Parts: sequence; structure tokens; C-alpha cells
Amino acid sequence: MDSRVGRVVIAAIAVLMIGSAVGCGEGAQETTSDAQPVRIGAVLSLTGTYAALGEAEKNALDLEVARINDAGGINGSPIELLIEDDATDEAKAVAATSKLIEQDGVVALIGATGTGPTMAMRGDIQRAGIAQISLAGGTVVTGDFDPLVFQTPWSNNLVVPYVLEVMKESGHTKVALLTDSGGYGKDGRDVIIAEAPPAGIDIVADETFNPGDTDLTAQLTRMKGSGADAVLLWTAGKEAAIAMKSARDLGMKLPLFGGSGQARAEFIEGSEGAAEGFVFGTGKSLIPSNWGEGSPEYQSVSDFATRYEAAYGEAPDIFAGHAFDALAIVADALERAGTDASPAQLRDAIEATSGLAGFGGSFTFSAEDHNGLTREDLATYRIEGGKWVAAE
Amino acid sequence: MKKAQLIIPFVAAGVVAAGPLLIDDRFLLKVLTFVGMNVLVIVGLSLLFGYAGQVSLGHAAFVGLGAYTCAIFTVRLELPWIVGFATAGLVAALGGLILALPSLRLKGHYLAMATLGFGELMTLAFVEAEPLTGGVDGFSGIPFPVIGSFEFREPAALYWLVWGVVGVALLVAWNMTMLRPGRAMRALHGSELGAVASGVDTVGVKVRVFVMSAALAGLSGALYAGVVGFVSPSIFTVGASVTFLAMAVIGGTGSLAGPVVAAVALTLLQYSDAVVPGLSRDVARVVQSYREDLYGLAIVLVVILAPQGVAGLLRRLGGGGRS
Repeated sequence: MDSRVGRVVIAAIAVLMIGSAVGCGEGAQETTSDAQPVRIGAVLSLTGTYAALGEAEKNALDLEVARINDAGGINGSPIELLIEDDATDEAKAVAATSKLIEQDGVVALIGATGTGPTMAMRGDIQRAGIAQISLAGGTVVTGDFDPLVFQTPWSNNLVVPYVLEVMKESGHTKVALLTDSGGYGKDGRDVIIAEAPPAGIDIVADETFNPGDTDLTAQLTRMKGSGADAVLLWTAGKEAAIAMKSARDLGMKLPLFGGSGQARAEFIEGSEGAAEGFVFGTGKSLIPSNWGEGSPEYQSVSDFATRYEAAYGEAPDIFAGHAFDALAIVADALERAGTDASPAQLRDAIEATSGLAGFGGSFTFSAEDHNGLTREDLATYRIEGGKWVAAE
Repeated sequence: MKKAQLIIPFVAAGVVAAGPLLIDDRFLLKVLTFVGMNVLVIVGLSLLFGYAGQVSLGHAAFVGLGAYTCAIFTVRLELPWIVGFATAGLVAALGGLILALPSLRLKGHYLAMATLGFGELMTLAFVEAEPLTGGVDGFSGIPFPVIGSFEFREPAALYWLVWGVVGVALLVAWNMTMLRPGRAMRALHGSELGAVASGVDTVGVKVRVFVMSAALAGLSGALYAGVVGFVSPSIFTVGASVTFLAMAVIGGTGSLAGPVVAAVALTLLQYSDAVVPGLSRDVARVVQSYREDLYGLAIVLVVILAPQGVAGLLRRLGGGGRS
């Protein structure tokens, strides 16, 4: 090490100090009200692998914050939403969390988009004693229980038993399983393996593939020869469409089942017709009329969809829906606890959420349950004519 | 070595040490702590690449080894943090030794491929050894570093801990490069045959520098585990290894200063939205989406156009003299 290291380090420090003096960050919306705004933080994946998900989540949050503020805020106080990008990266999620807590003094955190970044935030969450409402679907988020952490997507712990029951009821008990080795598929597989025996389902083939695989012929051939009478697919990846096309090419005639990972237009389009007849279980809100016209859930979901479409020119996907729920939960808790509530009081108010009608369903949290949904919030769908319809 | 050249590192060390006193922005301190962790990896990697001329495409695996070792020792075995930290360095060093053994017979591309394979293998191991590592869900609940009765909780304390380790590593590395081992490494870089002919124990040098750089990466991983409190396999991918290699290559050869500067700059690039106020989201998105591609491209361009990298630039600015 010599003089040049020194010069550079000094220069670097100088640059950083200037940077911090200028101030950094973005995402704070200007508020015009006189009342003290309530600061809520969000850590989303606006770049990186989950950018598409994070973008939809951000759209939903921006939309709802604007709506609440236009209507006079919460008990007269506007919401100030500060969004930080974690770039689908765990280290960045930690840094973003610490910025929102230390620098911006938020009272609650929404996010992250993915399960990994969500878990990575936990250290800072625990230290600050601030409630976190995750938009990630991993079972571990509320399974590895922490009093501060909530999540809005339908957990695999809820959806898997539901789908297994649907399969059983339609007379399929010998099941060939196909899952991806990434987060969502592996998470689902663990729950499926645990829940199949009590549900009276026999897993006769257990095949996996890696995210990014382009050829699933070997797995499907083994599944075909396994004596199974149905296929259960658990993945959120784009490989699901490849599996559908390969299954068709191999002349597989077995009925196909899946979960929330298939509630995506990309899956149907990518399968090029091969997903016709596919049956999957997930939240009721994919078809708002599932709730029954006039029900609070129907009102909530269809209002949100209408406003989202008007603002962004496309229907909200499930990720936008899960973000909408997260903000609704925080707003509802703030209304009850008061906008000057401490983070601890706000957490208690969130846990006391009861019967809040949102996109995911009717949220009722308890000291043991931080996912808050029940099987009453789920429905079965069949893919017909290139879209999903309610299955009987 | 002129006197002035000795004074400046002390001044620099003073400025780095005073960081938390000058900066009261806790977030910025955290970012700078991450910078320190990367610098620690790069100190080792620049010995390996910049002095001994060996390419490693699997260095993130050593960081992962260290992180998981520290996590397992402190959480599962409930041992003091300092034990986990030291063991993390040892386990990673052992990994480096195992990887160095085939490298005795491999040169150039073949060695690069071996390290790449090692990196992939370790990523799989982190996922599959679920009872130990927590698999894809990751390993959470790792405690803060503790020495004696002092817990490194505050951003400032963590910053000092990480940069303190970086300082020690830099001193050791700098001594290595100034003395016999440094000359042996440079000889190896220049021409392996020539080095053998001059009586340099090329095999011994390769193994030692591999072990050393792996150990530093492992220590960096242990620090990461303590600072973040959570580790998962997705952090220690080949993509991360490429990022480290890019820092070393862009930093240049035969120098510690260059790679350190490159590590600081490229790490801050990842936090560009925090460091550069008002950077547009679209620019950030492009940089993020193509980050690894950009690093790969940068490696190629530097190797072809400016083989000396930042180090060469510094030499021109500083007017000669090897660092």
C-alpha cells in the first residue's frame, strides 16, 4: 500500500461525504396537508430478477396512497410512502431496510417482493421492533414465526392442502409431482410431501427441474411411466409452459393440477394451447364474482381492478393485489391505533386486524397466524379457451 | 519507499477509521460496511490474480463457506462469535487448499474452469445441505458479532469491525508483496517457466496464495453473516464470483491499491441510487439488469485495452513506483 491508496481513499470518503450532505433517496411524495404525514416504507424489487413483480407492486402502492391522500388521508394525516429498490438482492434489501428505519423513521415496512430479501430484512426489523408486511409467498416468512412479520399472499400451507383435496375429490390419488428446485417450487414440494399422506394422496413420481431448464422430456417420460393418474405441477417459473408443451408432445393424457404459480397469463400464453383443461387452486379474487356480487370482498377487488386499469392500462396481476392488501392492512391498523401510534402499537393493531376484505380474501390475524387467510378465500379454476374460468 | 509514501497510508487509515465520526448517516455507514467486506475479498483476490496471475471464477463460494461456517458455529453450536469467525477463515482456507491441489497440474483456462466448477458445486452444496444451511430458504437469526462482552450492534461499530479486519488484511498482504513471496508471485505471473528456472517453488507459491485468498474471502463471509444476520445460497453464485473477478481485473495487476479502488467503486455502483442523488430509475434498471454482463465486458475490455487496469492509471497519476 502506498500513497496512491491514501489519495484514493481520501477522495472516496470525500465523495461519500458530499453525497450524504446532498442527501439521497427518492420516492417521497410531496404532501400538501398541514397534518404530520405518516411515513410508511416499502422495499421492493424494482430491478433484478423480480423487477416485473416489484413494478406491479409499486403501481398498486402508488395508486392506493394517492387515493387515500386525495380522500384526506388517515384521520386527517396524509401517508408518505418511501419506496426503496432492493434489486432482488439480499444485501441491498438489508441496506434499504436500515435506510428506511434509521434515516426516514418509518412506522411500518411493506416488502420485500421476494422471500430471500424478506428474510434478510428480519435482523433490522427485530432490532427496530417495526412491523413488516411481506409480499413474498414463501411458507418460511410466517412459518418461521416472528411477532413482527406478516404476509399477504396465499401461503403454500393453505393452498397445497386445498389443491390436494380438489384432486382427491375428482378421484385422483396416484399423483406424479413436478416441481422446480427454486424457491416457490421447493417450498411447495416440502408442503406437498408432508400433506399428501393425510390427504390420502400417493406420490408415485417426484420429479424436479432447475430454474432455466429448457428440456423436461426426461422428467415427463418418467412421470408418464409411473402409473400416476394425475400430474401436480408446482412452480412459478416460465418452465411450466415448457412442461405443458412437452407433455402434449409426449402424448400424456393425464389430468393436470397446480397452484397459485399458474394464475398467470404468461403461463397460458406460453403453453400455446397445451394448458387447456389445466386445473389450479388459488385465491377467489381471480374472478371477483366468486365472492358474490355485493359482498365486501367483491367491492374491494373490483374497485381496485377498475382503478388500476384506468391508471395503468392493464388489469392488476396477483402481485399488485398482494401489495394492495399490504397497504390496506397498514392503513386499517393506523386508523384504529391513531396516526401517532408507536411502531409497537401499530404492530399490535395490525395483529388485531379482523375481517378486512382485500384482494387475498378476508384477513383476520391472530397471535399465532400472521397470514390471516383461510381456505374460504380460495377457489378452483380451469383453463379453457386461453383463459381461466371457475371450475365447479 | 520515501517517507511521504509511508505517511499517506496512515492518513488514509485515519480517515477511514474516522468515518463514523464524520458520517452520521447510518445507512451510508452500512453501505460503506458492505464496501469493506468486498474490499476484504479483493485484497485476497488481487494477490491471487494481480500478483500470482491465477484466475478464480469461484471466489464467492469461499465467501459462502465462511458465512455458513460462522452461522453454523454461532447459531447451531452456540459457540462464541470469535470462534465462528476464526473457523470460517480456516474452513475457507481448507477449501482453498482442496481447490489448489488440482491447480498444481492445471494452468490458465483449465484452472479457471476448475474454480468455476468448484463455485457451482458449492452453490449446490449450500442448497442441498438443508439441515445445516437451511437450503434455499436461507439461514436466519444469526447474531451480531460479539467480542468479550461487547456486541457490535450499531452501524458504526460494525463499520469499525469490518474495516479493522480490512486494515489487518491489507498490512499482511502488503508485507507479502514487498518481501520474497511477493517476488515469487510476480515471477509466477510473468512466466511460470522462467520462475521455475529461477528456483521459485511455483507449486508452493500457488498453493499458499490460493489458501490465503480463500481465507480472506471466508472471513469476509463471516462478517457478512454477522452484519446482515441472514445468508442464503443466492448470494454466493457464480455471478458474484464474476463481480469479484471484475474488481480484481479492472483494479489491475501488481498492485493492491488499484483493486481496492476498483472494489470501492464497483460496490458503490451497486448502491448508485443511494450514493448518486437523482439517478434516474431507468438508468439504474439497465445497470442492474445487465450488471454481470457489463462486468464481463469490462473484464474483456480491460484485458485487451488496458491490461494494467486502475493500477496502471494510478501509476501514471502517481508518477511511477510500484505499490
